[in-house]
Amino acid sequence: MEPLRIALAQMAPRLGALEDNLERHHALLAEARQGGADLVVFPELGLTGYLLQDLNAEVAMRLDDPRLAALASDTKGLSAVVGFVEESDDHRLFIAAALLEDGELRHVHRKVFLANYGLFDERRFFGSGSILAATPSRLGLSLGICICEDFWHLATPNLLALDGAQVLINISSSPGRDVAAVNEVGLGTATSWRTLARTYAQLTTSFVVFVNRVGVEESITFWGGSEVISPTGATLFQAPLHDEGLFFVEIDRAEVRRERIAMPLLRDERPEVVMRQLERIVRERAGEVDPNDAGSGA
Amino acid sequence: MTSVSASPPSGSGPAFELPAELGIDTDVARRIIDGFITSQLRQAGFSRAVVGLSGGIDSALVAHLVAEAIGADSLLCVLMPYSGSSADSRTDAAAVVDQLGCASTLVDISPMVDAYFADGAPGGREASPVRRGNFMARMRMAVLYDHSVTFGGLVAGTGNKTEMLIGYTTLFGDSACAFAPIGDLYKSQVRQLAAVMGVPDAIVRKSPSADLWPGQTDEGELGVSYADLDRLLFWMIDKRRAPDELIELGFDDGLVERVGRMVARSEFKRQVAPIAKLGPRTVGIDYLYPRRRPGSARR
Repeated sequence: MEPLRIALAQMAPRLGALEDNLERHHALLAEARQGGADLVVFPELGLTGYLLQDLNAEVAMRLDDPRLAALASDTKGLSAVVGFVEESDDHRLFIAAALLEDGELRHVHRKVFLANYGLFDERRFFGSGSILAATPSRLGLSLGICICEDFWHLATPNLLALDGAQVLINISSSPGRDVAAVNEVGLGTATSWRTLARTYAQLTTSFVVFVNRVGVEESITFWGGSEVISPTGATLFQAPLHDEGLFFVEIDRAEVRRERIAMPLLRDERPEVVMRQLERIVRERAGEVDPNDAGSGA
Repeated sequence: MTSVSASPPSGSGPAFELPAELGIDTDVARRIIDGFITSQLRQAGFSRAVVGLSGGIDSALVAHLVAEAIGADSLLCVLMPYSGSSADSRTDAAAVVDQLGCASTLVDISPMVDAYFADGAPGGREASPVRRGNFMARMRMAVLYDHSVTFGGLVAGTGNKTEMLIGYTTLFGDSACAFAPIGDLYKSQVRQLAAVMGVPDAIVRKSPSADLWPGQTDEGELGVSYADLDRLLFWMIDKRRAPDELIELGFDDGLVERVGRMVARSEFKRQVAPIAKLGPRTVGIDYLYPRRRPGSARR
């Protein structure tokens, strides 16, 4: 089986400069194609920059936006994941990721879990998506596309893998913080994300592709450190912290099957148990049922 | 209290006390600050910076960081002594300029300050040292911002996290800047980074001072060492510990109370002035744009 060649576009978008960023995406797509990439992954809000505040509506694109179509037209014989602000027909704004393939827009994921604490203020400016679904791709693998904070909630990798994803793709604009000397690689954020990526790869027996942006907006510095993890949890590639670059990684598609035969964790998942328990917990948390009377529910 | 002593490469004994939990990865911090300085300038349409150099460790470190980020050729250090400033401050500032090979200029602020207090100021010559100190800090700000125009560079701030949190700054004086490269580093961390970057040993070792009157030191005036103050602020602010938890950690209850009050009382210095909300869309309240966006750069 031919290996799958992935290009990680660890780039620094210009804040609010949609046209400049589009141009940069076109150029990187061309460079990735030249480098033999099958799949090119760009960071969260790579087309717009992150700290948009009231610029959110100014850079938003509808799914039928000709600029998105032009980007898609660069993907003949190629798959690409791009991050942008989506405006729905009823004018809600979402942080979104689109899968572009063979000239078409094939799938859109709207960020489900918006970060709204500490230095984050996403819910003020964006609506949240409500679908976590895997999507088939021309690559012969099913993709589980999600965005940054989505990965800080266990349901995301779990649902995407149960839905058939073999490659979990997380695109991020993660601001680096905590330079305490005790942190691995000197950055607390990097330590946390590396733990998540390995854990999810192992628990879902899937590849994890993490693409994080670099660059500076206002006070915050995005730390890069994009990586690819195999279904065994082994690190296949790690991009440098803070440096911009287009990095190529090859993965062995057969690795998913091998690992899932050896470690049939997904086979042994009990989604019906999870669902029944969740139904009970949701009712209880809403105050609809007295937890003491609820029984096991299983 | 766990702490380690840090020595500069030339070290003849510890240059300062670095509490263990405050130790930073200086390579990563340096990389982030370098990128921050470069980006702030580029996004504003500038390629040069201006630093007010006092002879103390904060401004020496900022000058080093700016020189590393954009090159010493693009840095102007402005020395602004007052007649009462210590001679050592002047010598130490000159040593940093020599070391970096950057442009520098000296503006004696004594005539401006003395003219005001000799003539127009209420209370005149009897003005308190604090009033005089604040006025000096604001004169230096005015001089620095004028040089920002003539040199074509943004003013890099030299404030650190410790002084910002306790309000040991002059509003619209030393706190005025275009961007603050070391504003998230406690004084102990400033010392750690300064030692690594090769700021002259004499500057790293000397007692920090606002240099407003002879013999003044920050630690003497605040009544606490920076190592203790930084540790307390770290647990209070970064680690979100409540006063009773801080006392349980071994901090003196009087100090916890006093520092807590200093932080609360200086909240106004860290925020822009509130605007009376009248219209449908008000600056800073429901008109929210990033400082740097398409069209905001000078060119």
